Amino acid sequence: MSEPMLQVTGLRAGYLDTTVIRDLSLTVTAGEVAVMIGPNGHGKTTLLRAISGLITPAAGQVLLDGQDVTGWPAERIAAMGLVHVPQGDGLFPEMTVEENLMMGAFPAQSWRERRREVARIYERFPIVAGKAPQRARTLSGGERRLVALGRALMRTSRIMLIDEPSLGLAPVAIDAVYEAIAALKQSGATVVLVEENFTHVGGVADAVHILEAGQIVASGPFAELSVDPTVVQTYLGSLS
Amino acid sequence: MVTNFVAIVVNTIILGSIYGLVAIGMTLIYGTLRILDMSQGSMVMVGSFIGWGVLVVAGWSPVLAILAAFAATFMLGVLTQLVSVQPLMKRRNAIDFEMVTFITTFAVAMVLTNVALEVLGPFQRNVTPVISGGVTIHTVNLPYQSLAMAIVSIALMAGLGLFLSRTRWGMAIRAVAQNLDAARLMGVPVGKLYPLTMGLASALAGVAGVFLGGLYFAYPGAGDLPLLEALIVVIFGGLGSLPGTIYAAYAIGLIQATAEQIVGETWSLPILYGVILIVLIVRPYGLLGKPSEARL
Repeated sequence: MSEPMLQVTGLRAGYLDTTVIRDLSLTVTAGEVAVMIGPNGHGKTTLLRAISGLITPAAGQVLLDGQDVTGWPAERIAAMGLVHVPQGDGLFPEMTVEENLMMGAFPAQSWRERRREVARIYERFPIVAGKAPQRARTLSGGERRLVALGRALMRTSRIMLIDEPSLGLAPVAIDAVYEAIAALKQSGATVVLVEENFTHVGGVADAVHILEAGQIVASGPFAELSVDPTVVQTYLGSLS
Repeated sequence: MVTNFVAIVVNTIILGSIYGLVAIGMTLIYGTLRILDMSQGSMVMVGSFIGWGVLVVAGWSPVLAILAAFAATFMLGVLTQLVSVQPLMKRRNAIDFEMVTFITTFAVAMVLTNVALEVLGPFQRNVTPVISGGVTIHTVNLPYQSLAMAIVSIALMAGLGLFLSRTRWGMAIRAVAQNLDAARLMGVPVGKLYPLTMGLASALAGVAGVFLGGLYFAYPGAGDLPLLEALIVVIFGGLGSLPGTIYAAYAIGLIQATAEQIVGETWSLPILYGVILIVLIVRPYGLLGKPSEARL
């Protein structure tokens, strides 16, 4: 058994007076792709935001590669090697695609180092390379998502959190996005992936956790949970 | 006729450049922090006194006056941010952040004005022009001071543009302006970046003060009119838009210079504000503003 890359224990988090995540615990080992599945409004995005430090947990503990990062500001956790691709895409709309990518390697001091990373991303995503001088807001939804994934790869990460990469995209764009995620998995990345249902995650998921009302209500390997009629009917309404 | 035309061109460039320099810091701050920094006028005032101190009292060089004003108002701007804005940052979503910081930065401005009044007295001090003499083009008199002011203003605005587009920290400022959460996820330390941004903006106003002090005087109220003018320029250009602010600065310069030539000085300001009134009624978000407010 390898060391846990991410260990969340007893996490409680939310906004102002609303608690969204209640007493949640989760362990993700190195090299694992963990998928959080749950309906809208049940805390998937809030969970990721609490892990990456965009919101401060009210209780509980977050360990990143053994280091307690609970309550740290997002920029400090990011510097520790956590990469979070937020819902939507989190791009800088008035910046060019290339500038967006450069921002992905902000902690790297040297321009040469960052330029080299940009070249590597262009090689990996030719579609992104073709859009280099365009402003991010002028791209299609699928292109934006790919740029966001490319930007996430601009620096070496210990763990990557990806929030609903298929949301609002056309099927062909979803395929392209999941191809990129599969390649990520191939390269041995540790990933926490959030989705609303099982539809797209089959090719990449190791463990699956079902999130309901801010708690994990079922966990197991993808192969088991995705065909378990109780899980599918109780938490997801129907087989999708 | 030729004289009129030359006068309009010359005065547009001079007025527009100084309006731009006074206002651009305000836009930088609004685009990044979403606040109207009412201490920007005080930075002009402090800059004009530093110009007076270095040029008149100490008798040193103009370059030193500009550098000293830049450095001092940079630090003052950082301090202003730490005292009047940073403590409210954590609660920005729970309060009317824009309105509260409007008042807190105004409070800093009041303190600075009254410290100046107490320490230096209510006198209008003549500031030696950064450069004396002038040149006459088609009977239009162009003092070198005005020319130097326009050149330095344009250089500083261009420098700011290069800083924002070509440097790591400049890009980080734009990133924070466009998507705060995403910028933090990239590892941008916003706690350092916000004071830096306000320091930079204040330094530009401080340099403007050295030149304005030479045109008018250094006195505790020297920042009042520039503050009002800066507010008008940034709103006319569209809040938070840097290109908008520069267009607005030169557009206002052009209207004012043209009106001065055609109907004389008395009516130039009423005509200018009449045009601004009409433009804002037609385009309430300013020349380049958007309903969602531009972000640098």
